[in-house]
Amino acid sequence: MPLFGNRTHLQSRRSRRKKRTAGDAGTSTGGDGGGSGGGPLDGRLDELLAKVTHVFGTDTTLTVRKFRIFGTYPAAMLYFPNMLDQNTLNETILKPSMSVPTGLDPSEWSAPELLDRLASEALWHSDCRRTEDFNDLIEALLHGDTVLAAEGSEAALVVGTRQIDKRGIDQPGTEQVIRGPREGFVEPLGPNIALIRYRLQAAELRTRQLTIGRKTRSKVVVCYMEGLTDPDLLAEVDRRLGGIDIDAVLDSGYLEQFIEDNQWSPFPQVQYTERPDKVVANLLEGRVAILVDGSPLALIVPTVFNQFYQAVEDYTERFMQMSAIRMARLVALVFSLVFPAIYVSVISFNPELIPTEFAVAVAGGRAGVPWPAVVEVLIIEISMEVLREATIRLPQQVGGALSIVGVLVIGQAAVAAGFASPITVVIIALTTIGSFATPAYNAALALRLLRFPLIIIAGIFGLYGVMIGLILIANHLLSLKSFGVPYLSPLVPADAEGMKDVLIRGPLWWMKRRPAFLKPKNPVRVGSEMTEPPETKSRKQEGAHSPSTEKE
Amino acid sequence: MTKATRDISALQAAAVLVSTIIGVGVLPLPLFAVRAADTGGPLVTLLACICALVGLMFVALLGMRFPDESIIQYSERLIGKWPARAVGLCVIVFFALLTSLTAREFGEVVVTSVLKQTPVEVTVIVMLMLAAISARNTMTTFAYIHFFYVPLLLVPGLLIVALSLKNAEPLNLQPIWGNRPGGMFDGIVTIAALFQGSFVLTIVIPAMRKPAKALVVSLYSILIAGGLYVVIVIAVVSVFGAEETRELLWPTLELAKATSLPANVLERLDGAFLAVWVTAVFTTLLSSYYLTSQSLTQLLRLQEPRIFTFFLVPFVFVIAMVPANIVKMYEAVVNVGRIGLMLTIAYPGLLLLIAVLRKKGGSALGR
Amino acid sequence: MDDNGPRSLKRAARLAARLCPPLLAAALLCGCWDRTEIEDRAIVLGVSIDKARPEEEGEEDPVTHYVKGLGPPASDLIRVGVQIALPGRIPLGPGESGGGSGGNDPQKTVWVLDVVGHSVNDALMNLQQELSAKLFFGHLRVIVISEEMARFGLENVNDYFHRNPEVRRMAWMMVAKGEALALMKASPKLERVPSLYLMTTLDEGIRMGKFPQDYIGIFWSRKSKLGQEGFLPYVELRKNQTLQTQGLALFQGSRMVGATMPLDIAVYMALKGNNPGGYSAFVKVRGTEVMTHVTHRESKTSFEIRNGKPYFKFKAAFELNLEEKINNELNIQDPSVIRDIEESQKKGAVKLIESFLEKTQALGSDVLGLGEYVRAKAPGYWNRNVGTKERWQRMYKEIEYEVHIDMKIRRIGMKAE
Repeated sequence: MPLFGNRTHLQSRRSRRKKRTAGDAGTSTGGDGGGSGGGPLDGRLDELLAKVTHVFGTDTTLTVRKFRIFGTYPAAMLYFPNMLDQNTLNETILKPSMSVPTGLDPSEWSAPELLDRLASEALWHSDCRRTEDFNDLIEALLHGDTVLAAEGSEAALVVGTRQIDKRGIDQPGTEQVIRGPREGFVEPLGPNIALIRYRLQAAELRTRQLTIGRKTRSKVVVCYMEGLTDPDLLAEVDRRLGGIDIDAVLDSGYLEQFIEDNQWSPFPQVQYTERPDKVVANLLEGRVAILVDGSPLALIVPTVFNQFYQAVEDYTERFMQMSAIRMARLVALVFSLVFPAIYVSVISFNPELIPTEFAVAVAGGRAGVPWPAVVEVLIIEISMEVLREATIRLPQQVGGALSIVGVLVIGQAAVAAGFASPITVVIIALTTIGSFATPAYNAALALRLLRFPLIIIAGIFGLYGVMIGLILIANHLLSLKSFGVPYLSPLVPADAEGMKDVLIRGPLWWMKRRPAFLKPKNPVRVGSEMTEPPETKSRKQEGAHSPSTEKE
Repeated sequence: MTKATRDISALQAAAVLVSTIIGVGVLPLPLFAVRAADTGGPLVTLLACICALVGLMFVALLGMRFPDESIIQYSERLIGKWPARAVGLCVIVFFALLTSLTAREFGEVVVTSVLKQTPVEVTVIVMLMLAAISARNTMTTFAYIHFFYVPLLLVPGLLIVALSLKNAEPLNLQPIWGNRPGGMFDGIVTIAALFQGSFVLTIVIPAMRKPAKALVVSLYSILIAGGLYVVIVIAVVSVFGAEETRELLWPTLELAKATSLPANVLERLDGAFLAVWVTAVFTTLLSSYYLTSQSLTQLLRLQEPRIFTFFLVPFVFVIAMVPANIVKMYEAVVNVGRIGLMLTIAYPGLLLLIAVLRKKGGSALGR
Repeated sequence: MDDNGPRSLKRAARLAARLCPPLLAAALLCGCWDRTEIEDRAIVLGVSIDKARPEEEGEEDPVTHYVKGLGPPASDLIRVGVQIALPGRIPLGPGESGGGSGGNDPQKTVWVLDVVGHSVNDALMNLQQELSAKLFFGHLRVIVISEEMARFGLENVNDYFHRNPEVRRMAWMMVAKGEALALMKASPKLERVPSLYLMTTLDEGIRMGKFPQDYIGIFWSRKSKLGQEGFLPYVELRKNQTLQTQGLALFQGSRMVGATMPLDIAVYMALKGNNPGGYSAFVKVRGTEVMTHVTHRESKTSFEIRNGKPYFKFKAAFELNLEEKINNELNIQDPSVIRDIEESQKKGAVKLIESFLEKTQALGSDVLGLGEYVRAKAPGYWNRNVGTKERWQRMYKEIEYEVHIDMKIRRIGMKAE
């Protein structure tokens, strides 16, 4: 796998860091074995096995298979059988090292060079390396590799035999598209990298691997485009990832919370996706993707606000239709934030704004409701949140039924019971549906959260209060940055090229340059002679080898 | 904020000026204009714009001569340390006053027309807190904030003007110099005083990417903001007539009240207009507050620019509460504005003259 | 890129800590001063103002005054009636019968109350004293003034509604022949809410060309102009509970001085060039009559100073449709007949215009705003000779004018002759 191409480089990086963090990571690698410690191997097999068993204690899954290499040299093979395919093990390691291959005369091999020669001349396995460090050896075992040690050799062979069962590549559950690729990331890192690489067959695609998590030793891969991504951005990503010190990284979400700029902001400053095509599009814009082993969600940085209402179809479907739909989505987004607050302030403070007939009718609808509009809206909103959360948690078979029951029956009953006015129910229903129209779940979450303070301030100051609240939110957005990029780019600061992809989605041939706020080293995206006329365009596409650059 | 960040584009600088100038002053503006020269109100406003432009150009030219400093800093080199500090203190006090009067004026508008039972203290303190919190940002964010809100100021103003045009009567605008243009000069001074927030240019220039563009920036910003002023006065006078305008405390708000969106989506726009106008007032307030606190730190040569942001709130608030009623408050607004013209037009003019005579600073087109 | 991770965290925490107490305090301590739920407001849809009889003084409550010397003012008593929407009685949405037993009976959807007071505010305070819900004028659409009250003067009425920020400038003010309160109590069948019916009558009148735009705000603007007087619709409640526009109530300043005939509305609109045309008239031609309908008008008013006095020229052009013949004597296909109709109607129109102008001149009420032309176009003359509203009112009685009319029949309907 190309992924492990520069493994040694990274490991030296890691060991440097280990020293810096006062040996914390080092002792943890050695396990809780206490006195055994790390250190180099001394060539005595019994000693080594004793140390290993000491480290793993009474763990029953570790297998130690003693045998003699070519029937002569005593050796042992250590591995966790559940993490690899035993057939491979037998065929590619055990068999070649037990039966003397034809044309070789192993009798003259000396003990110290035994393993090296074994690796280079006998073993039928591509991923083989030598290690002299005990800690490294333990780590390799934990990763699912097989360790081959021989009496008299001061090193051990680590054979990459890891094979974890994974689910098949499936449709992305949370980012469904009507038109566009159907593949989503899976949990293991390897297939995910492959999903990216087969879409982006460019030599400039670079991956860097880090290990984060004192206990989980999770592999984290940073992907970027060499010669395109801003090097400062890359350095910043490395710096932030390097500073993380936590025992477990179970999902990319753990990382997000350590690398985002402002942890107190309700707005997500890191985008996540389970779509490889989205990752590729973002890489090509000059962003950096971060993948974590065990998580089907890749992180994308830097992230700006407009990404949260963009969907994949915006780029795969034709531009005019999708521009209109994007604007509808934007309306839904604004609705889901301010609709209830505006309702409260109009009903309780400025009823003169709505038409007289309607005002009189609204008054009629509210006549039996015992509490003020702000309390009514809050009650219904909170029950709506409860319903929604319940719908997510319930098993799928029951969930659909519950949501229908919840919305129809409870809403109707609440009105009939004089618990809420029918218009409130309509408003809240519209708001809730509006928040579902936001493609990014985490951004919708932020707006859902901010809705409540807005409703409360609307209950105190009316429209004036809503405006104050919106100004506070807008100012916060304006001061927010994601990896040094202003959050509202390309709207503020204005960027003419980026503006083509904010409210509307410009035609692909029109967005000639990559967004400037990402400071790409190579800004040109579409060939300069790509213009509108369809006949020239189609002729060009046949000849062009550069990938048509769809974004996100 | 580090001094080295020169991150503000000319467009953003113009946005800062436009959104600073457009503020609560737009609400009584037609009244001031009509009081000066009844149907000549638009002309008075136009002349006031030119007057304000001259003052702003002094500031811009000075800024281009000293592209790394604000007026507090370079004035010391021009007229000596202590005189400059004394005038600098006056400028700071003046802008503190301007901040408090703006907050109070808007508080009164809100309390009179929308939130009748809410104490004016609450609306004033809310606005001041909003400005103080936002004044803690860096200069770049400050410019972003202004840039973001400019469309929110221009669109409702122009929308109301456009919607009211169908009720306009050209006869109301004639004669264009007014039947009794006696108070013209007073009116020009009063309205020119509404532009004083643009003095904030002096602290924007040191953060501009190309300070040489300051002159163009000031020209365009007065063109846009002054244009809106003139258009609003024209709309109000042509719809209501000069005599009716004279009877209205906030004619612009009344214009919003007389306007309804097509198809009666909203039957009257005053409440909505006032709500949107909160942003206009906020940006004005933010600018004068930011200018006050930044100038104060510069005067005292402090390193941390955010030190005064909350410290100033109580003072500004107390000043805001001094005028006993709305009539006294407008008296104060007009008088303070006129005195302020000495500081925002005459003083930079004097400094520029000295700078030219003593050949201090880089040439105006140096950068 | 700078390291602002932990710093921004600290800053945010500090900011939150600073923000929370004042916000919480604001929310908990002071609460919601202005929050009044829509159903807790007494939504006033219409107001009527009559002069009260002196013998009704006893009905007046001393709510705003009781110590001698602190009022009541010397002005006469007025009777203010309000029409309040009853929440719950007006069904929500079209066609649904829900929301109570009221249904579509207008008498049950609104509540009409009346009180006596010395001024508008005094009367409304008296009313508020006996009402649980707060009176809310944000949806006030119709103000009806009795003719008696209008002739007495509307200074106080204008001032109150002008000063109150809730009142919209798009409301209608009208002068009723007879009692104004009767209009509040009227129960027309077309609308669910009676006041809205009054409003719709006039609003639709504008669209049909029956009445010029004359919202209360426009009335105020006209009234305050130096060279113009305001006018209001002059209406009467007819026996089938409908509103009939009787003409213009002419004002001089804030006082009504007279009223015109319905056709004078058409004259006014013709001279102002208001469109669409909404009135039809009989035209005598060759011994019989036809009816024509004005579809489009254009007009131009100009003046010159003649003998030290403004001399006005009215030019107006009408486009007409032939709507009806009384009998079959005329052959419309004959162009000369068309010309005769046009000629005849031209003469009639000039006569109508002259009678209208004479009437307004006699009353000293320049509703056309001719003074404004003088003020705008000849400011020097205006400043020297007029200057004030009172002097223009006097001068208006003496001005001279000439009228030029152009009539064109464009269409004759679906019948060939």
